[in-house]
Amino acid sequence: MKKLLCLLLAVATVLAMSVLPAMAEGAEINMFISSPEYADAVNELIAAYKEVAPDVTINYETTQNDYPTLLKTRINAGMTPDIFSTTSGKEIADYAEYSYNFAGSPAAEAMDPAVSAMMVYGDGEIHGFALKGNYFGMLYNKAIFEEVGIEFPRTLDAFEAACEKLSEAGYQPVTTGFAEWWVFKHVMQHFLDAASDDPAALVAAFQKGEAHFKDYPVLYDNFFRFIDLCVKYGDNKPLETDLAGEDAAFGAGKAAMMTGQGAWVEADVLAIDDALQIGFAGYPVTDDPAKSQIIGGSDQALRINKDSANLDAVMDFVNWWYTSDYGKAWFCDVAGVIPPITDAKVADMQIIQQGSELSATDGAAALSICYSSDSFNQAMGEAIQAYIGGTIDKDACCAQIEAKWVELDGAAQ
Amino acid sequence: MDKKSMSPMNRKALKETLLFTLPAVVMVLIAIYIPFVMSGYYSLTEWNGISRNPVFIGLNNFKTIFSSGSPEFVNALVFTFKYSALFIVFSNVLALALAVALTKEFKLANFLRGMFFLPYIMSMTIVGFIWKFIFTQGFEKLYELTGWGIWNLSWLGDGGLAFWSLVIVGTWQSLGFYIVLYIAGLQAIPKEVMEAASIDGATGSQRFFRVTLPLLGPSITTCMFMSLTNSLKVFDIILALTKGGPGGATYSATLDIYREAFQNNNYGLGSAKAIVFFVIVLVLTQVVLKIFESREVQQ
Repeated sequence: MKKLLCLLLAVATVLAMSVLPAMAEGAEINMFISSPEYADAVNELIAAYKEVAPDVTINYETTQNDYPTLLKTRINAGMTPDIFSTTSGKEIADYAEYSYNFAGSPAAEAMDPAVSAMMVYGDGEIHGFALKGNYFGMLYNKAIFEEVGIEFPRTLDAFEAACEKLSEAGYQPVTTGFAEWWVFKHVMQHFLDAASDDPAALVAAFQKGEAHFKDYPVLYDNFFRFIDLCVKYGDNKPLETDLAGEDAAFGAGKAAMMTGQGAWVEADVLAIDDALQIGFAGYPVTDDPAKSQIIGGSDQALRINKDSANLDAVMDFVNWWYTSDYGKAWFCDVAGVIPPITDAKVADMQIIQQGSELSATDGAAALSICYSSDSFNQAMGEAIQAYIGGTIDKDACCAQIEAKWVELDGAAQ
Repeated sequence: MDKKSMSPMNRKALKETLLFTLPAVVMVLIAIYIPFVMSGYYSLTEWNGISRNPVFIGLNNFKTIFSSGSPEFVNALVFTFKYSALFIVFSNVLALALAVALTKEFKLANFLRGMFFLPYIMSMTIVGFIWKFIFTQGFEKLYELTGWGIWNLSWLGDGGLAFWSLVIVGTWQSLGFYIVLYIAGLQAIPKEVMEAASIDGATGSQRFFRVTLPLLGPSITTCMFMSLTNSLKVFDIILALTKGGPGGATYSATLDIYREAFQNNNYGLGSAKAIVFFVIVLVLTQVVLKIFESREVQQ
């Protein structure tokens, strides 16, 4: 018995020793980020950095499912990754005590101002960088619009008329993805931007409980009119149609418009029909066409652990990513994303091209989803779903959203 | 037991018992009891799950739950009880009926037992995704083929219907498990008792209700207990099928706790809800267990 036990212990010790990582000579960077759709591109980036800095080892891990929970677990276990992701905007503050302020570094200087605006904490501290920029807006099928002979609607009245015409022509005018809670935050931010010249202050007022839907016709009337029209002219089972359902309806040329999405769906809908001509535009939010703007920026932030054992090595890597020739070209050539830096070429994709043109000609509105937490955004999505499902009316829905804004994003947080 | 009076054999047996149970005890401690005690502490704090220092606030989280501050938790509890009641009835009645049928001797009995058990060994998440596909694309196709209105209902998009979808899928998935338990119970009933009942002139239904059912007591207690705890803990199937939607209509207590702790970043309040829910489950299961045990007949 004793001998057996000793043997077992010996075996266990040997196993443990062999599993323990051999202490590397150079620095090690642990990178645990979301956005698994860019795993291949990030691996290429890391391979390229290996040639620049051979003694730095980057351990890259990614997951989509439940990333925030996994991150919290690691942070609380004292294993904060050297590079991790959060959403930008409000969550910058939540994780500020762990993240490094790299304002003034070459990477921070190279960042697109629209992106870095969402990474600011306190007085000009920069607490994050982005893997990509993004464009939010409405997608439409150019061929269908040409066939029916109408322009993309930039006012709500025009939107209703366009839906009617498209419907008569036998198309499903719009596909909505209302089964996903995050679709609503993408739609809502366009209305928030139209409701106030200073959407950040408006959201802050909502969070303090000082603002009310009723005082903002763009929200109380226009937003709900838009939702109602989307339900009327949209998917057969609106609360059952998710992103995949939207992709299918739009990609197959069944639906003429797609709401709640942005640049990230292009590859998926082109996979269904690679000849699809995608139009990209702002939402019809008021009766003023000029208010119909797209939104740009980054809703995701990559953060640097300020207590990292290899902070210098991490900063070297990030600076190289944002300023070296390979790094600058990587966004467009390898990852195929909107570069989050000013000095880079634009990828040859339909939404990105139109997005970059539109923000040059018409300007882009603020990425106001980031003024609220995703906890709130999810609660808001659920309230609007309940409105669409008919379990609560418009006033109850507004009251619920207002209450959640205070409860989840108010002073207590 | 006095140590000196213990024979060497007994001492060895004791040592071995301790040695072999030790790994399991350590694992259970790490995975269940220590986190349980820790969440007991966190339930007394205000903590977002991120910051380094939870703030001790005493019983305030519990006050929040029991005052009007948490209608969602109450709704989730109501949902969970409704789900549990239906789940227990459906899974037990159907499982018992199928078990009786499958203990009859016919050709496909073994094959069918396997078929009914199959969903149980599949991951709940996979089951959820399969049914999500059936409810959306599958039903759409069936509607195109048949034109029957039932296929055109929004089975996951309507709050009331989504509840039924969850009950149906939940029952379907775990039916096999209860069938196996009931089959084992049925096979343990002595043949002589059944024969005696036949000779005494009992009809088929009399034999079932007067003999089989009372003798199945222990199986019924086990199945009731298992189905009660499993349905109160329902989580993964909802996450895979509806994520608590549409419009928050299908949040179970566990999903609400998860939402509070990890999405709303109220780890302290979430822990407090978990403790409250733990007490409710503890009381409920003990009461149900006592009731069913007291009704069992001795063989």
